[in-house]
Amino acid sequence: MASKDEGAFWNIISYLIAGMGFWGAAGALLDNFLKTQIFVFIGIFLGLFLSIYLIWVRYVRSDPGNLGK
Amino acid sequence: MNLLEGEVRPGFRAPDAGDFVFPSIFGDSVLTTKPVVLVFFSVILISTFFIASSRKALVVPSKIQFAGEMVYGFVRNEIGKDVIGSEFQRFVPFLFTIFTFILTNNIFGIIPLIQFPTMSRIGFPVSITIFVYLTYHFVAIRKHGLFKYLKDMCFMPGIPKFMYVILAPLELATYFLIRPLTLAMRLFGNMFAGHLLLILFTLGGEYMLHDKLIMQLFSVFSFGFSLGFTFFEFFVQCLQAYIFTLLSALYIAGALADEH
Amino acid sequence: MTGTLGIVGFGLSTIGPGIATGLIFAAYINGVARQPEARSILQPLAFLGFALAEALAILGLVLAFVLK
Repeated sequence: MASKDEGAFWNIISYLIAGMGFWGAAGALLDNFLKTQIFVFIGIFLGLFLSIYLIWVRYVRSDPGNLGK
Repeated sequence: MNLLEGEVRPGFRAPDAGDFVFPSIFGDSVLTTKPVVLVFFSVILISTFFIASSRKALVVPSKIQFAGEMVYGFVRNEIGKDVIGSEFQRFVPFLFTIFTFILTNNIFGIIPLIQFPTMSRIGFPVSITIFVYLTYHFVAIRKHGLFKYLKDMCFMPGIPKFMYVILAPLELATYFLIRPLTLAMRLFGNMFAGHLLLILFTLGGEYMLHDKLIMQLFSVFSFGFSLGFTFFEFFVQCLQAYIFTLLSALYIAGALADEH
Repeated sequence: MTGTLGIVGFGLSTIGPGIATGLIFAAYINGVARQPEARSILQPLAFLGFALAEALAILGLVLAFVLK
Protein backbone atom coordinates (compact mmCIF):
# COMPACT_ATOMS: atom_id res chain seq x y z
CA MET A 1 0.00 0.00 0.00
CA ALA A 2 1.30 3.38 -0.94
CA SER A 3 1.62 5.00 2.45
CA LYS A 4 2.57 8.38 1.05
CA ASP A 5 -0.92 8.89 -0.32
CA GLU A 6 -2.51 8.32 3.08
CA GLY A 7 -0.77 11.41 4.39
CA ALA A 8 -2.53 13.59 1.84
CA PHE A 9 -5.88 13.17 3.59
CA TRP A 10 -4.52 14.39 6.91
CA ASN A 11 -2.68 17.22 5.18
CA ILE A 12 -5.92 18.28 3.49
CA ILE A 13 -7.67 18.46 6.86
CA SER A 14 -4.72 20.42 8.29
CA TYR A 15 -4.88 22.93 5.44
CA LEU A 16 -8.63 23.40 5.87
CA ILE A 17 -8.35 24.00 9.61
CA ALA A 18 -5.38 26.33 9.09
CA GLY A 19 -7.18 28.34 6.40
CA MET A 20 -10.39 28.87 8.30
CA GLY A 21 -8.68 29.20 11.66
CA PHE A 22 -6.03 31.71 10.59
CA TRP A 23 -8.15 34.05 8.48
CA GLY A 24 -11.13 33.64 10.80
CA ALA A 25 -8.93 34.67 13.74
CA ALA A 26 -7.60 37.62 11.72
CA GLY A 27 -11.20 38.65 11.00
CA ALA A 28 -12.15 38.29 14.65
CA LEU A 29 -9.21 40.48 15.65
CA LEU A 30 -10.29 43.13 13.14
CA ASP A 31 -13.84 42.92 14.50
CA ASN A 32 -12.50 43.43 17.99
CA PHE A 33 -10.75 46.67 17.00
CA LEU A 34 -13.48 48.08 14.76
CA LYS A 35 -16.38 46.94 17.00
CA THR A 36 -18.06 45.22 14.06
CA GLN A 37 -19.48 41.73 13.57
CA ILE A 38 -18.93 40.96 9.90
CA PHE A 39 -15.19 40.48 9.36
CA VAL A 40 -14.97 37.16 11.18
CA PHE A 41 -17.38 35.62 8.66
CA ILE A 42 -15.58 37.22 5.72
CA GLY A 43 -12.35 35.79 7.12
CA ILE A 44 -13.79 32.31 7.55
CA PHE A 45 -15.09 32.16 3.99
CA LEU A 46 -11.91 33.71 2.58
CA GLY A 47 -9.93 31.05 4.44
CA LEU A 48 -12.26 28.34 3.16
CA PHE A 49 -11.70 29.31 -0.47
CA LEU A 50 -7.98 29.87 0.01
CA SER A 51 -7.44 26.48 1.56
CA ILE A 52 -9.41 24.74 -1.17
CA TYR A 53 -7.33 26.66 -3.72
CA LEU A 54 -4.14 25.56 -1.95
CA ILE A 55 -5.28 21.93 -1.95
CA TRP A 56 -6.12 22.26 -5.62
CA VAL A 57 -2.63 23.58 -6.38
CA ARG A 58 -0.90 21.00 -4.19
CA TYR A 59 -2.75 17.79 -4.88
CA VAL A 60 -5.03 18.15 -7.88
CA ARG A 61 -3.33 20.34 -10.46
CA SER A 62 0.20 18.96 -10.08
CA ASP A 63 1.26 15.89 -12.03
CA PRO A 64 -0.44 12.73 -10.78
CA GLY A 65 2.78 10.81 -10.27
CA ASN A 66 4.00 13.14 -7.54
CA LEU A 67 1.08 13.24 -5.13
CA GLY A 68 0.98 13.33 -1.36
CA LYS A 69 4.44 14.72 -0.80
CA MET B 1 -45.52 -9.88 39.91
CA ASN B 2 -45.49 -6.30 38.83
CA LEU B 3 -42.78 -5.59 36.29
CA LEU B 4 -42.71 -1.88 37.00
CA GLU B 5 -42.33 -2.21 40.75
CA GLY B 6 -39.23 -0.88 42.43
CA GLU B 7 -37.95 1.69 44.85
CA VAL B 8 -37.21 5.26 43.81
CA ARG B 9 -33.50 5.79 43.16
CA PRO B 10 -31.43 8.90 42.60
CA GLY B 11 -30.84 9.87 38.98
CA PHE B 12 -28.11 8.42 36.84
CA ARG B 13 -24.88 10.43 36.88
CA ALA B 14 -23.35 10.31 33.40
CA PRO B 15 -19.55 9.99 33.36
CA ASP B 16 -17.66 13.15 32.42
CA ALA B 17 -14.12 14.48 32.28
CA GLY B 18 -13.91 14.21 36.08
CA ASP B 19 -13.73 10.43 35.73
CA PHE B 20 -10.32 10.82 34.12
CA VAL B 21 -8.79 12.47 37.20
CA PHE B 22 -7.29 10.05 39.67
CA PRO B 23 -6.13 10.67 43.22
CA SER B 24 -2.51 9.97 44.05
CA ILE B 25 -1.72 6.47 45.25
CA PHE B 26 1.06 7.39 47.73
CA GLY B 27 0.84 10.74 49.48
CA ASP B 28 -0.16 13.62 47.24
CA SER B 29 2.68 13.60 44.73
CA VAL B 30 1.75 14.04 41.05
CA LEU B 31 4.25 11.31 40.21
CA THR B 32 2.17 8.51 41.68
CA THR B 33 -1.23 9.04 40.05
CA LYS B 34 -2.58 6.18 38.00
CA PRO B 35 -1.63 7.49 34.51
CA VAL B 36 1.98 8.21 35.53
CA VAL B 37 2.32 4.81 37.19
CA LEU B 38 0.94 3.24 34.03
CA VAL B 39 3.50 5.08 31.90
CA PHE B 40 6.37 3.77 34.05
CA PHE B 41 4.82 0.32 33.95
CA SER B 42 4.56 0.46 30.15
CA VAL B 43 8.24 1.45 29.88
CA ILE B 44 9.24 -1.53 32.05
CA LEU B 45 6.95 -3.81 30.05
CA ILE B 46 8.28 -2.69 26.65
CA SER B 47 11.94 -2.85 27.74
CA THR B 48 11.53 -6.30 29.27
CA PHE B 49 9.76 -7.65 26.21
CA PHE B 50 12.21 -6.36 23.63
CA ILE B 51 15.31 -7.19 25.67
CA ALA B 52 13.95 -10.72 26.12
CA SER B 53 13.13 -11.01 22.44
CA SER B 54 16.53 -9.82 21.22
CA ARG B 55 18.98 -11.05 23.84
CA LYS B 56 19.55 -14.51 22.46
CA ALA B 57 19.00 -13.87 18.78
CA LEU B 58 19.04 -17.07 16.77
CA VAL B 59 18.93 -17.70 13.06
CA VAL B 60 15.84 -19.79 13.56
CA PRO B 61 13.86 -17.42 15.83
CA SER B 62 12.11 -18.51 18.97
CA LYS B 63 8.49 -17.45 19.49
CA ILE B 64 9.26 -14.31 21.48
CA GLN B 65 12.03 -13.31 19.11
CA PHE B 66 9.67 -13.77 16.20
CA ALA B 67 7.05 -11.54 17.85
CA GLY B 68 9.57 -8.81 18.56
CA GLU B 69 11.00 -8.96 15.07
CA MET B 70 7.54 -8.80 13.57
CA VAL B 71 6.75 -5.52 15.34
CA TYR B 72 10.16 -4.09 14.48
CA GLY B 73 9.88 -5.23 10.88
CA PHE B 74 6.46 -3.66 10.56
CA VAL B 75 7.67 -0.24 11.74
CA ARG B 76 10.89 -0.48 9.75
CA ASN B 77 9.44 -1.58 6.43
CA GLU B 78 5.83 -0.45 6.32
CA ILE B 79 6.32 2.93 7.97
CA GLY B 80 10.01 3.83 7.76
CA LYS B 81 11.11 2.48 4.39
CA ASP B 82 7.93 3.17 2.43
CA VAL B 83 7.48 6.72 3.64
CA ILE B 84 10.87 8.25 4.38
CA GLY B 85 12.86 6.58 1.60
CA SER B 86 16.63 6.30 1.34
CA GLU B 87 17.55 7.92 4.68
CA PHE B 88 15.04 5.98 6.73
CA GLN B 89 17.49 4.00 8.86
CA ARG B 90 18.33 7.01 11.04
CA PHE B 91 14.72 7.47 12.11
CA VAL B 92 13.68 3.88 12.72
CA PRO B 93 14.57 3.86 16.46
CA PHE B 94 12.57 7.05 16.98
CA LEU B 95 9.53 5.77 15.10
CA PHE B 96 9.77 2.37 16.78
CA THR B 97 9.85 3.96 20.23
CA ILE B 98 6.83 6.12 19.47
CA PHE B 99 4.87 3.22 18.01
CA THR B 100 5.44 0.73 20.82
CA PHE B 101 4.97 3.34 23.54
CA ILE B 102 1.65 4.61 22.18
CA LEU B 103 0.41 1.11 21.35
CA THR B 104 1.14 -0.24 24.84
CA ASN B 105 -0.38 2.76 26.58
CA ASN B 106 -3.48 2.65 24.38
CA ILE B 107 -4.07 -1.05 24.90
CA PHE B 108 -4.04 -0.47 28.66
CA GLY B 109 -7.53 0.87 28.02
CA ILE B 110 -9.08 -2.55 27.45
CA ILE B 111 -6.92 -4.77 29.66
CA PRO B 112 -9.00 -5.89 32.65
CA LEU B 113 -8.00 -4.39 36.03
CA ILE B 114 -5.98 -1.61 34.37
CA GLN B 115 -8.62 -0.22 32.00
CA PHE B 116 -7.31 3.24 31.48
CA PRO B 117 -5.70 4.42 28.24
CA THR B 118 -2.92 6.72 29.38
CA MET B 119 -3.18 8.75 26.20
CA SER B 120 -6.62 10.00 27.24
CA ARG B 121 -4.84 12.53 29.44
CA ILE B 122 -3.80 15.38 27.13
CA GLY B 123 -0.33 15.80 28.66
CA PHE B 124 1.05 12.54 27.26
CA PRO B 125 0.11 13.07 23.58
CA VAL B 126 1.34 16.65 23.82
CA SER B 127 4.75 15.63 25.11
CA ILE B 128 5.18 13.01 22.39
CA THR B 129 4.09 15.58 19.82
CA ILE B 130 6.72 18.02 21.10
CA PHE B 131 9.42 15.44 20.32
CA VAL B 132 8.04 14.88 16.81
CA TYR B 133 7.70 18.64 16.22
CA LEU B 134 11.28 19.36 17.29
CA THR B 135 12.57 16.42 15.26
CA TYR B 136 11.06 17.31 11.92
CA HIS B 137 11.91 20.99 12.15
CA PHE B 138 15.45 20.21 13.31
CA VAL B 139 15.97 17.72 10.48
CA ALA B 140 14.70 20.19 7.89
CA ILE B 141 16.75 23.12 9.20
CA ARG B 142 19.92 21.04 9.32
CA LYS B 143 19.38 19.79 5.80
CA HIS B 144 18.22 22.97 4.03
CA GLY B 145 19.16 25.81 6.36
CA LEU B 146 16.57 27.93 8.14
CA PHE B 147 16.12 30.52 5.40
CA LYS B 148 15.72 28.10 2.52
CA TYR B 149 13.36 25.95 4.61
CA LEU B 150 11.02 28.87 5.25
CA LYS B 151 11.30 30.07 1.67
CA ASP B 152 10.42 26.66 0.24
CA MET B 153 7.54 26.41 2.68
CA CYS B 154 5.95 29.74 1.82
CA PHE B 155 6.66 30.17 -1.89
CA MET B 156 5.75 27.27 -4.07
CA PRO B 157 6.09 27.62 -7.81
CA GLY B 158 3.27 28.02 -10.26
CA ILE B 159 0.78 30.39 -8.67
CA PRO B 160 0.17 34.11 -9.28
CA LYS B 161 2.47 36.49 -7.36
CA PHE B 162 -0.22 38.30 -5.36
CA MET B 163 -1.53 35.00 -3.98
CA TYR B 164 1.69 34.53 -1.99
CA VAL B 165 0.66 37.33 0.37
CA ILE B 166 -2.43 35.48 1.56
CA LEU B 167 -1.19 31.91 1.12
CA ALA B 168 2.16 32.23 2.93
CA PRO B 169 0.68 32.78 6.41
CA LEU B 170 -1.60 29.84 5.76
CA GLU B 171 1.35 27.57 5.02
CA LEU B 172 3.24 28.84 8.05
CA ALA B 173 0.21 28.26 10.28
CA THR B 174 -0.16 24.74 8.90
CA TYR B 175 3.46 23.77 9.50
CA PHE B 176 3.99 25.44 12.86
CA LEU B 177 0.59 25.32 14.57
CA ILE B 178 -2.02 23.06 13.00
CA ARG B 179 0.14 20.01 12.35
CA PRO B 180 1.27 19.49 15.96
CA LEU B 181 -2.17 20.50 17.22
CA THR B 182 -4.02 17.95 15.09
CA LEU B 183 -1.37 15.30 15.79
CA ALA B 184 -1.89 15.58 19.55
CA MET B 185 -5.64 16.17 19.43
CA ARG B 186 -6.34 13.18 17.18
CA LEU B 187 -4.71 10.70 19.54
CA PHE B 188 -6.13 12.35 22.66
CA GLY B 189 -9.64 12.70 21.24
CA ASN B 190 -9.89 9.12 20.05
CA MET B 191 -8.69 7.67 23.35
CA PHE B 192 -10.78 10.05 25.47
CA ALA B 193 -13.99 9.47 23.53
CA GLY B 194 -13.51 5.72 23.34
CA HIS B 195 -12.89 5.37 27.05
CA LEU B 196 -15.80 7.69 27.88
CA LEU B 197 -18.15 5.59 25.74
CA LEU B 198 -16.96 2.38 27.39
CA ILE B 199 -17.49 3.63 30.94
CA LEU B 200 -20.82 5.20 29.96
CA PHE B 201 -22.25 1.90 28.79
CA THR B 202 -20.75 -0.11 31.62
CA LEU B 203 -21.99 2.28 34.31
CA GLY B 204 -25.35 2.55 32.55
CA GLY B 205 -25.74 -1.21 32.53
CA GLU B 206 -24.74 -1.39 36.17
CA TYR B 207 -27.31 1.29 37.04
CA MET B 208 -30.06 -0.51 35.13
CA LEU B 209 -29.18 -3.79 36.84
CA HIS B 210 -30.22 -2.31 40.18
CA ASP B 211 -33.50 -0.97 38.81
CA LYS B 212 -36.91 -2.47 37.97
CA LEU B 213 -37.09 -5.89 36.34
CA ILE B 214 -37.81 -4.52 32.86
CA MET B 215 -34.70 -2.35 33.14
CA GLN B 216 -32.67 -5.35 34.27
CA LEU B 217 -33.67 -7.14 31.08
CA PHE B 218 -32.55 -4.18 29.00
CA SER B 219 -29.24 -3.89 30.84
CA VAL B 220 -28.10 -6.94 28.87
CA PHE B 221 -28.02 -4.76 25.75
CA SER B 222 -25.97 -2.12 27.52
CA PHE B 223 -23.40 -4.66 28.71
CA GLY B 224 -23.45 -6.35 25.32
CA PHE B 225 -22.75 -3.08 23.57
CA SER B 226 -19.91 -2.26 25.93
CA LEU B 227 -18.41 -5.70 25.33
CA GLY B 228 -18.71 -5.35 21.56
CA PHE B 229 -17.33 -1.86 21.71
CA THR B 230 -14.30 -3.16 23.58
CA PHE B 231 -13.26 -5.09 20.48
CA PHE B 232 -13.85 -2.05 18.29
CA GLU B 233 -11.83 -0.01 20.78
CA PHE B 234 -8.91 -2.43 20.40
CA PHE B 235 -8.99 -1.81 16.65
CA VAL B 236 -9.10 1.97 17.16
CA GLN B 237 -6.20 1.84 19.62
CA CYS B 238 -3.95 -0.04 17.20
CA LEU B 239 -5.02 2.23 14.34
CA GLN B 240 -4.28 5.41 16.28
CA ALA B 241 -0.80 4.21 17.23
CA TYR B 242 -0.19 3.40 13.56
CA ILE B 243 -1.53 6.74 12.32
CA PHE B 244 0.50 8.75 14.82
CA THR B 245 3.69 6.98 13.75
CA LEU B 246 2.80 7.22 10.07
CA LEU B 247 2.19 10.96 10.30
CA SER B 248 5.46 11.47 12.21
CA ALA B 249 7.24 9.63 9.41
CA LEU B 250 5.40 11.70 6.79
CA TYR B 251 6.38 14.98 8.44
CA ILE B 252 10.02 13.84 8.62
CA ALA B 253 9.82 12.77 4.97
CA GLY B 254 8.38 16.16 4.05
CA ALA B 255 11.21 17.88 5.91
CA LEU B 256 13.81 15.80 4.05
CA ALA B 257 12.22 16.31 0.63
CA ASP B 258 13.99 18.64 -1.74
CA GLU B 259 11.08 20.92 -2.48
CA HIS B 260 8.07 21.40 -0.27
CA MET C 1 -27.17 19.53 31.65
CA THR C 2 -24.78 22.29 30.70
CA GLY C 3 -23.00 23.13 27.48
CA THR C 4 -23.34 25.05 24.25
CA LEU C 5 -25.96 24.40 21.60
CA GLY C 6 -23.25 25.14 19.02
CA ILE C 7 -21.56 21.84 19.86
CA VAL C 8 -24.81 20.00 19.11
CA GLY C 9 -24.97 21.89 15.82
CA PHE C 10 -21.42 20.80 15.04
CA GLY C 11 -22.40 17.20 15.73
CA LEU C 12 -25.33 17.49 13.35
CA SER C 13 -23.23 19.22 10.71
CA THR C 14 -20.74 16.33 10.61
CA ILE C 15 -23.39 13.84 9.46
CA GLY C 16 -23.53 15.19 5.91
CA PRO C 17 -19.76 15.33 5.29
CA GLY C 18 -19.40 11.90 6.91
CA ILE C 19 -21.81 10.34 4.46
CA ALA C 20 -20.27 12.33 1.60
CA THR C 21 -16.73 11.15 2.40
CA GLY C 22 -17.97 7.57 2.52
CA LEU C 23 -19.63 7.89 -0.88
CA ILE C 24 -16.58 9.54 -2.43
CA PHE C 25 -14.21 6.83 -1.31
CA ALA C 26 -16.67 4.07 -2.18
CA ALA C 27 -16.80 5.41 -5.72
CA TYR C 28 -13.02 5.87 -5.83
CA ILE C 29 -12.31 2.33 -4.63
CA ASN C 30 -14.87 0.98 -7.09
CA GLY C 31 -13.24 2.83 -9.93
CA VAL C 32 -9.72 1.73 -9.07
CA ALA C 33 -10.86 -1.88 -8.56
CA ARG C 34 -12.48 -1.97 -11.98
CA GLN C 35 -9.65 -0.23 -13.78
CA PRO C 36 -6.39 -0.05 -11.79
CA GLU C 37 -4.60 2.05 -14.42
CA ALA C 38 -7.14 4.85 -13.90
CA ARG C 39 -5.79 5.41 -10.39
CA SER C 40 -3.62 8.39 -11.31
CA ILE C 41 -6.61 10.14 -12.89
CA LEU C 42 -9.07 9.28 -10.14
CA GLN C 43 -6.87 10.12 -7.16
CA PRO C 44 -6.75 13.92 -7.61
CA LEU C 45 -10.50 13.91 -8.15
CA ALA C 46 -11.00 11.93 -4.94
CA PHE C 47 -8.76 14.40 -3.08
CA LEU C 48 -10.74 17.34 -4.44
CA GLY C 49 -14.07 15.80 -3.52
CA PHE C 50 -12.76 14.89 -0.10
CA ALA C 51 -11.53 18.45 0.46
CA LEU C 52 -14.86 19.97 -0.59
CA ALA C 53 -16.86 17.63 1.65
CA GLU C 54 -14.49 17.98 4.58
CA ALA C 55 -14.55 21.78 4.28
CA LEU C 56 -18.20 21.73 5.36
CA ALA C 57 -17.41 19.70 8.47
CA ILE C 58 -14.63 22.08 9.48
CA LEU C 59 -16.89 25.05 8.68
CA GLY C 60 -19.29 23.58 11.24
CA LEU C 61 -16.46 23.26 13.76
CA VAL C 62 -15.37 26.88 13.30
CA LEU C 63 -18.94 28.24 13.39
CA ALA C 64 -19.62 26.27 16.58
CA PHE C 65 -16.89 28.35 18.23
CA VAL C 66 -17.78 31.66 16.58
CA LEU C 67 -21.58 31.77 16.92
CA LYS C 68 -22.74 32.26 20.47
